[in-house]
Amino acid sequence: MNEATPSQYSEEFEVNMGPQHPSTHGVLRLMLRMNGENIVRATPYIGYLHRAIEKICENRTYAQCIPLLDRFEYVTSMASEEVFVLATERLAAVEVPERAEYLRVIMLEFNRIASHLIFLGTFSLDLGAITPFLYCLREREQIMDLFEMTSGQRLTYNYIRVGGVAYDIPEDFLPLARKFVDTFQHRIDDYEAILTQNPIFLARTKNVGIISKDIAVNYAASGPVLRASGVKWDLRRDDPYSIYDRFKFDIPTGTVGDTWDRYMVRVQEMRQSNEIVRQALDQLPQGDYKTKMKAVFKPPVGECYARIENARGEMGCHIISDGSTKPYRVKLRGGSFCHTQLIPAIAPGMMIADLVATFASLDVILPEVDR
Amino acid sequence: MPTAYKLNPISGIKNLLIGLWVTLRHLFSKSITLQYPTERWEMPERSRGVVVLLSDKETGDLNCTACILCAKACPVGAIRIERHRGDDKRWKLDSFSIDNTICCYCGLCQEACNFDAIKLTPKYEFSSYDKASLIYDVNRLQDLGRDVDYVPTAKKAAPKPVAAAPAGDAATAVAPQAPAAEPTPTVAPMPEKPVEPKGEGE
Repeated sequence: MNEATPSQYSEEFEVNMGPQHPSTHGVLRLMLRMNGENIVRATPYIGYLHRAIEKICENRTYAQCIPLLDRFEYVTSMASEEVFVLATERLAAVEVPERAEYLRVIMLEFNRIASHLIFLGTFSLDLGAITPFLYCLREREQIMDLFEMTSGQRLTYNYIRVGGVAYDIPEDFLPLARKFVDTFQHRIDDYEAILTQNPIFLARTKNVGIISKDIAVNYAASGPVLRASGVKWDLRRDDPYSIYDRFKFDIPTGTVGDTWDRYMVRVQEMRQSNEIVRQALDQLPQGDYKTKMKAVFKPPVGECYARIENARGEMGCHIISDGSTKPYRVKLRGGSFCHTQLIPAIAPGMMIADLVATFASLDVILPEVDR
Repeated sequence: MPTAYKLNPISGIKNLLIGLWVTLRHLFSKSITLQYPTERWEMPERSRGVVVLLSDKETGDLNCTACILCAKACPVGAIRIERHRGDDKRWKLDSFSIDNTICCYCGLCQEACNFDAIKLTPKYEFSSYDKASLIYDVNRLQDLGRDVDYVPTAKKAAPKPVAAAPAGDAATAVAPQAPAAEPTPTVAPMPEKPVEPKGEGE
């Protein structure tokens, strides 16, 4: 791409941002062509975290794939388990017990809250506000504790299985979860009191990194990034999977599509997820948490695509089965990959500090980009 | 270029003070910091930490029957088992080692085991300066598991009494997807063994 090396007389010069840069949230490398402080061109280079998850899945049985897929999108591991399990269940026509569906929804929504808390913390950290980061991580710890007492791990749960979930919830899960749901709405008020109308925060985010509706749709953006641009599209409502059609929730959307809107959409989504968890806890039925499966699980020959609404947009999984115990091909789709593509489209004309804010608001995590 | 956002100074100062009020309130709330080396979390019962081998409570022998189901269930091939046929046609364990450097603590070995032989315990402090010392052999694994309390839930061991399993207990769940026992070689096959090519067009 560099046809001419910038000479000392040239005004434009190139800067490498990353891969080891704290604001790239992982190992993204951005090649920035700069004119003074303004960005002329931004080119993302990905692949620093490539682990060939799709290929390794071909050598593993379906049960063994699930712990690996925890590493696919490790901030919302429950979602990356769910999408693979959903595709497998549709492929093999496995019935899932009612209680397992509810437990999955509770875990998925808790994980969405945890993911948005990470976003909120790191986003404000990138903008220079340290306090919300500490508060957000404190609340996230409580969710991690709930996950740990249920699944046994804090990050790589291996909890959602083909035909249900691995374990039933322990006895003290329900009171703790209810307590969290009740206190959490006031916690969001605290975050908003610190950030939403803060003048420094507004100056850094309002009208920065505007993604118009056209660009968002054309670049296959999804999730909060798409909704912040004003498109009301949520797979939980528009292509319901699991039992999401039983819950009442709003789909928050933005108007302008700037960084502040993306922040606001995620904060509102946390409130909605909190409400979904509350409804699910109220409706949680008794019964089995897992269907009896055969000792050797072999789905029929065929292929299937499943998609879910993750905290970072549409997450998809396409499985091709050749009838053996191992998938023939697994293709994963993550929202972050499409959102990384947005950077060359919206970065020109921006300042570097604004790019940091915009990139943080896209909430890209690199393991999902590179897979 | 989008227009810069215009600030209203009065509401700006007001909202700054609102934010500072929140931090002030938190300043006098209870600290959640845990002073780690002197204080410790109480880990949940299901917490998956270091892998141990369990022994029979009465005889003190290993529960392991060398069926290598755990080695087959392991997604990363961290478990290595060597065994031979004894005089009574039963498998005898020669060596059992777990490579903690590649173990991913998924717990599939524990679910595949039918004899309460292998378990992931809430112990988590086993870091080491030396990678080689993280490969635990059978004696180390057995020593780690001696003080681990467990409810015997063995499904196939005839001599042991089968206790009624409490619902939702981690140890009772058997992985339904676990590969069934096949005619087994003397050395546990590693899951990363080269697979046959799957054809063209990938």
